[in-house]
Amino acid sequence: MLSELEMERAVFTLRKRDVTEWLARLLGQGEVIAPTSGPCGEVIFSKIDSPEQVLWDFENPLSPPKQFVLPQTDPIVRIECKGKGTQVAPIHDNRRRFLFNVRPCDAKAIAFLTRMHETEPADASYLSRAAETTVISLDCNAPCTLGFCVCSDSGPFASGGSDIELTDLGEKYLVAASCAKGEAALSGMDGLFLPATDEEVAQRDDLESEAKRHFGDETCHFGSAMRRISTGRVDDALWEQMSDWCLACGGCNFICPTCYCFSVGDRGGDGTWTRCRTWDSCQYAAFTLEATGHNPRAQRRDRMKRRFFHKVSAQYFVRDGMAGCVGCGRCISVCLGATDMPAVVAAIRKRAWHEH
Amino acid sequence: MNTDVFVPQIARIDAVRDETPDTKTFTLRFREPREEEAFRFLPGQFVEVSVFGYGEAPFCIASSPTRPGAIETTVRRTGRLTDAMHQLGIGAEVGIRGPFGNGFDVESARGKDLLFVAGGIGLPPLRSLIWYALDRRERFQDMTILYGARTPQDLVYKDELKEWETTAGVELHVTVDTSSSDWTGKVGAVPVLFGETTLRPESTIAYVCGPPIMIKFVVQDLFGRGFQDESVISTLERMMQCGIGKCNHCTIGHRYVCRDGPVFNFKQIRELIE
Amino acid sequence: MLNIPTTCPCCACGCGFFLLARDGELVGVAPSRTHPVAAGKICSRGWSAHEGPLWGQRLVRPLLRRDGKLEAVSWDAALDHIAGRLQDLIQAGKPIGVLGSPRATNEENYLAVRLARAGLGTNHLDFCYHSLCRPLLAGIEDVTGDSSHSIGLADIESSNTIVLVEGDLAKTHARAASSVLKALASGARLIVIGCARTQMARVASCFLPTVPGREGDTINGLLAAAIRTGPTEGRGAMPSAGLEPLQCKLAEVNITEEMRVAAEWLTADRAVFLMGPGGGDAGRLRQDAAAMTSLAVITGHLEKPDSGLLPLLARSNVRGACDVGLAPDRLPGYSHIDDPEARRRVERIWRKAVPIGSGLDAEAMLESVSGLILLADDPEAVLPAGRRVRAAMERLDFLVVLDAFATAAVETAHTVLPIASYAETEGTFTNFENRVQKVRPATAPPGEARDGWRVLADLCTRFGTGSAWSSANDVFHEIAEAVPRYEPAERGLSAGGWGSSLIGAPAWTRFALQGAAAGPAEADGHAYVLALDGTFDWGSDPLVASSPTLRREYQSERKLFPGGFVEMNSEDADALGVREGWRVKLNSTHGEAVVPIRQRKDLLRGVLLAPYAFRDCLSGVLCEHGVTAVNVERA
Repeated sequence: MLSELEMERAVFTLRKRDVTEWLARLLGQGEVIAPTSGPCGEVIFSKIDSPEQVLWDFENPLSPPKQFVLPQTDPIVRIECKGKGTQVAPIHDNRRRFLFNVRPCDAKAIAFLTRMHETEPADASYLSRAAETTVISLDCNAPCTLGFCVCSDSGPFASGGSDIELTDLGEKYLVAASCAKGEAALSGMDGLFLPATDEEVAQRDDLESEAKRHFGDETCHFGSAMRRISTGRVDDALWEQMSDWCLACGGCNFICPTCYCFSVGDRGGDGTWTRCRTWDSCQYAAFTLEATGHNPRAQRRDRMKRRFFHKVSAQYFVRDGMAGCVGCGRCISVCLGATDMPAVVAAIRKRAWHEH
Repeated sequence: MNTDVFVPQIARIDAVRDETPDTKTFTLRFREPREEEAFRFLPGQFVEVSVFGYGEAPFCIASSPTRPGAIETTVRRTGRLTDAMHQLGIGAEVGIRGPFGNGFDVESARGKDLLFVAGGIGLPPLRSLIWYALDRRERFQDMTILYGARTPQDLVYKDELKEWETTAGVELHVTVDTSSSDWTGKVGAVPVLFGETTLRPESTIAYVCGPPIMIKFVVQDLFGRGFQDESVISTLERMMQCGIGKCNHCTIGHRYVCRDGPVFNFKQIRELIE
Repeated sequence: MLNIPTTCPCCACGCGFFLLARDGELVGVAPSRTHPVAAGKICSRGWSAHEGPLWGQRLVRPLLRRDGKLEAVSWDAALDHIAGRLQDLIQAGKPIGVLGSPRATNEENYLAVRLARAGLGTNHLDFCYHSLCRPLLAGIEDVTGDSSHSIGLADIESSNTIVLVEGDLAKTHARAASSVLKALASGARLIVIGCARTQMARVASCFLPTVPGREGDTINGLLAAAIRTGPTEGRGAMPSAGLEPLQCKLAEVNITEEMRVAAEWLTADRAVFLMGPGGGDAGRLRQDAAAMTSLAVITGHLEKPDSGLLPLLARSNVRGACDVGLAPDRLPGYSHIDDPEARRRVERIWRKAVPIGSGLDAEAMLESVSGLILLADDPEAVLPAGRRVRAAMERLDFLVVLDAFATAAVETAHTVLPIASYAETEGTFTNFENRVQKVRPATAPPGEARDGWRVLADLCTRFGTGSAWSSANDVFHEIAEAVPRYEPAERGLSAGGWGSSLIGAPAWTRFALQGAAAGPAEADGHAYVLALDGTFDWGSDPLVASSPTLRREYQSERKLFPGGFVEMNSEDADALGVREGWRVKLNSTHGEAVVPIRQRKDLLRGVLLAPYAFRDCLSGVLCEHGVTAVNVERA
C-alpha cells in the first residue's frame, strides 16, 4: 500500500507503448540491465542494446542481479611493485547502471547488500557501484512457482529497495519513484509519464492483495524456526541428519541474492597485482580453517547451522532490520542436495527431516 | 575516514629480530610520515599485513600506542605468506590495513592489579598491553606476568623478559614444558606458576592468551580462585580476511571476532553462540 | 557480462553452465536450468571453474630449453625445433610416444591420435589416467563385448534400486550423488559397498561394509543371492553364457541377510549399478567390474532402457579420450588395434597405414621412449608411481609439453607450447553418460597461447598428415567419421544451444557372465589393510590447485601434513594408544613407512586409508597395486 507521503512523491503511469521510448532514453544515460532471452533458452539478466530485448513476462532469472553490484570476481585494488616503491590505488566501478524489471525480492536484496556494505567501516568500492545503480522493480501480479516472498515480507509487490516500482495495470504501468534516484530516472522524459489517478493507485493495491492470495499454505513460515534457531533449540542430531542431504556445493550462497560472504586475494604476478574480492561459501569446509589447523566448523552440521543462523536468527534480524532471506526460491532450484530454505525451515518447525 | 577499506597503507621493515627458530618480530614504519602520524591504535588491536604477491594475514600489534612511530608485530612461520615474510629484509615494503578489532579496555582496568598469563605465541598480543601499562604505570596497581613456552628457545621477547623481571612493581615468572641443559628456571605447564605468586581475585583483571588447552586449564584455575567472568580476558582466534566484519569468515553467531573482538571477557565468551 | 554456455572441465558428470566474462576477463560462473545434466545446479568445483584459468600460472609463450633454462621463442621457432628433433629421432629409429589427456577436448585428443599413428608412425599412445580406469572398462567389456554403454543420471533418479561401489561419491561426483539423493527421496533403495561410512553410506538403505581388496567377496555374495532369488520379470533376451559355471563357483559363498534383502530389492522394475575405478590390483578390479556387470545382467537390468550400469569415470573427458582411441592397443572408437573394420576406417580417413600391434602404455612409455609429446597433463600427479616418474621424465631425450597451465611437467620439458584452457577454446567433452557436449571460449587465451587443436593440427601437417581443418567443428566432423557413434552428435554441435547430444553405443550381441575373484586369504599376521582413497588427486590438478577457493579446500589439510598421513578408525587409534597427528610405523612384506595418523570415526576398523596424493610418502610400504596388508605400531 502506498503511503500518502509516497503518493505525494512521484506516482505516474506509463502507457505500455511508451516503454520503448523510456528505455531508449535510459540507454542514453547508462547501461540498462534487464531480464533477456539468454543463450540456451535461459532467461538471464543482461545488458541490453535495444529496448526490445527487455522481457516483461518471464520466469525470474536463476542468477540474481547481485552480480551487477557484487560480481563473483570483483577487482578492488591495484598494486604495483615496480622500482620506486609499491603503489596502491583503489578500483572503483562508476558505470551508471539501471537494473530494470528486477523482481521485488531482488530489489529488497540489493538494499540489504547495500546496508551490509554501508555499515561502518563503509566499503567504498561497493558503494561507488551501488551509488550509480538505479533499481527499477516490476511487481509480481502472479507469484512465481517456487517463491515465498510473503514469508519474509519481500514481495510480491515492492517492499523496499526499489528506486522505482513498476506495476502492470493491464493497459499501462504504474510508475512510483520512492527516492531522488528514482525520480532522476523519470525526469526529462516530457509527456511519457502522466500523474496517476487515485483509481490507478487503488488498482495497484487491489492487484497486490490478489497476488498475495495466490500463495499457498505450504510456503515457508519463519516464525518458529527463527525462535528455535535463535535460542539454540534445534537438536544437533537434526542438523546432522539434514547435513547428509547437503552436497556442499555452495550454490545456495552463490545464487542467494542476499548472501555476500567473500574472500580477498591478490591476482597477478611480476610486480603487478589486482586485489580481488571473490564470492565464498560458509558451507565450504575450509571457510573457517585457521592457519594452525584448528577448524571451529569442521563438521558439516555446524556449517549448516551457521548458514541458517545467519539467514534466519533473531539476532541477525535485529541487527539487519530483516531476515537474510527474501523468499526468491532460488536455493530450491540450485540445491544439489535437498536442503533449501523451505525444506530446512519446515524441518526445524516440525522437528523432523523429510527428504521428499 | 578512508573508506577504501581494502587499500593497504605502505610500510617499510625497519628492523627484524629473531625471537625463536620460527618466529620473528618485525618493526614496521609507514612510508608516509603523515600516515605514521595518523595511525592510532589500542593495545590488543590487530592489522592485516599484505605480503605483496602472497596475500594478507592478520597479526596483532605487539607494540604499545604509548610509543608512537613504528609498530611491531611478531610473526610465526605457518605457511606460504609467513614464510615469504620471514624472507623479507630491512627496507622491504609490506601493506598494512587497520587497526582492526576492539582492543583491550584499558580504562576499566585503571586502579586494578593486572595479571598476564601467556603461553608460547600468546605473549605477543599481551605485550602491547604490558608496555602500555608500564608506560602508564601510575594508572595501575601490581603487575604480574606468568609466561610459559615449550622449551627455553621457544620463549619470545627473551631480552624484555629479563627487563621485566627486574622492573619494580612487576612480578615475572617463566616456565618451560621441557627444559634444556642451561635452563635454571621453572619446568612445567603454565598453571604451575600460580604457586609462585599471590593472586587477589577481587582486585585483579586477568589477561590470558595462548593455546586453547592452556587457556582452558588456566581459566579453570582462576575461576576456582574466585575470579569473576568479567575479570578474565582473552583474545579469540579465527580465520580472518577483511578485518572489518563483512566477509563473515570470523563469525561466532552474530559476533565478529574482527569487530566485537578479538578481545573478549569470559562473560562475553560464554554468551557467544557457536 | 557475457554468458557463454560451456561444459565443466572437472569430473565426468558433464554439467554445463555459463562462463561469465566482462571486458575480456573471466568473472565467474552461472547455472542454467535448461542444461540437460546440470538442470540449474553446479558443484563446488564447477562454481570455481573460472578460477583455474583466471588465477593460475599460465603458459603464455612458446619456450625452448637452452643451457638448462627455458627461454621464450617464437611459435615458428618452437614448431620447427620440435619437427626437427622428432624427425631426427624417427630417422635414428628411436621410439616416440604421445600422451593425451582427459583434461583435453576430443578435438585435441583426436589430433594427438592422428599425429601419433599417421604422422609419427607410432603406436606408443595413451593417457596417464588410463591405467587407473582400464580395469573397470575391461571388466565391463569382458562381459558385454563393449565398454561404452552407460545409463544416464536421469535413470538413477527414476530407479527403484541403486547399487553403489563407493569411494566417496559426494566428493568425486557430487552431481551423481545428487541423483542418488533424489532417487532416495522418491523411495528408491540404495545399497552401498565400501570401507567407510561416507555420506552415501549414511543415507543408504543397506551398507555392506567391505575391507579394500574384498569387494569381490561382497559382489559375489550379491551375485549368489541374486541367482538364488531367481529370474526377474523381463529378463533379457540376450544369450548369456556362463551362468552354470558361475553358479558352481558361487555355491559356497556366504550370503548374509543384508545381501538377501538387497537381492530382493534388485527384483524391482528399475535398478542401476554405479561403479568407479578403485585402487588395487588391476586383475582383481577387472574381475570385480565384470562381476558387477554380470549382476546387472542376471537381474535383468543391463538390457532395460532405463536401467543398467554407470561407470563413474573420474575426469571430464575420460570417455572421450577412450573413444578417440588414445590407447596403445585401441583405435578411434576404442576398437581393438587389430579390428579390421576399425583399421580400414581410419586408414581411409588418414590415407596411411596404421602401424601393426600394440604400443607401450603410459608408464612403459615414460621408461622407454626417446621422444614424448605430452598434452595437458602431469604424469607425476596422475600416475600411481608418482614422483618416481620424475627420473624417467628427466631421462627423455626430447619432451614436448603442451598445456595451458605450468605443471611440474614443464620442469623437465625441452619445449613448451602454451595452449588455451577449456575456458578459451572450442571443442567437445564426452561425459560418463555418453553425452558429447560443447566447450566454448569465454575469453581469448592469454599471451601467445593458441587453441590446442590448432597446434596439434600444425604438427600433423608438419608430419605429413595434415588436413584442411579450419575450425574445431571441422575436426569433430572427422572424429564423427572415425568414430561412427559420434556422428549423430555433429548436428547438435553447430546448432547453438548447449550442443549436448546423447550418443548410442554399439549393440550387444551376447554376454559372458563372470564372478569376482575371492578376496585374498587372511593376510597372516597382518592386522590392517592399507589402501589409497580413490584413483585421482583433485588437489594437484591445475583446475583445482590454481583456484584460490578450491585450493584452500583441497590443499589446506595436506599443508599441515607435508609428509602425508593415513586415516585410521578412532577406536583402532585408541586401542593402539595413538592420538590425532601422532606417528605410526607401518610394516608390510614390501617394506615400511612412518607416517602420522588422522582419526576417522566412520572408517572401518582394520582399515587405513591414505589420500591418493600421499602415495609417494607410503611408497616404502605400499605394494605395487596399492592395497597392502600391514601391521601398525606406535612410532
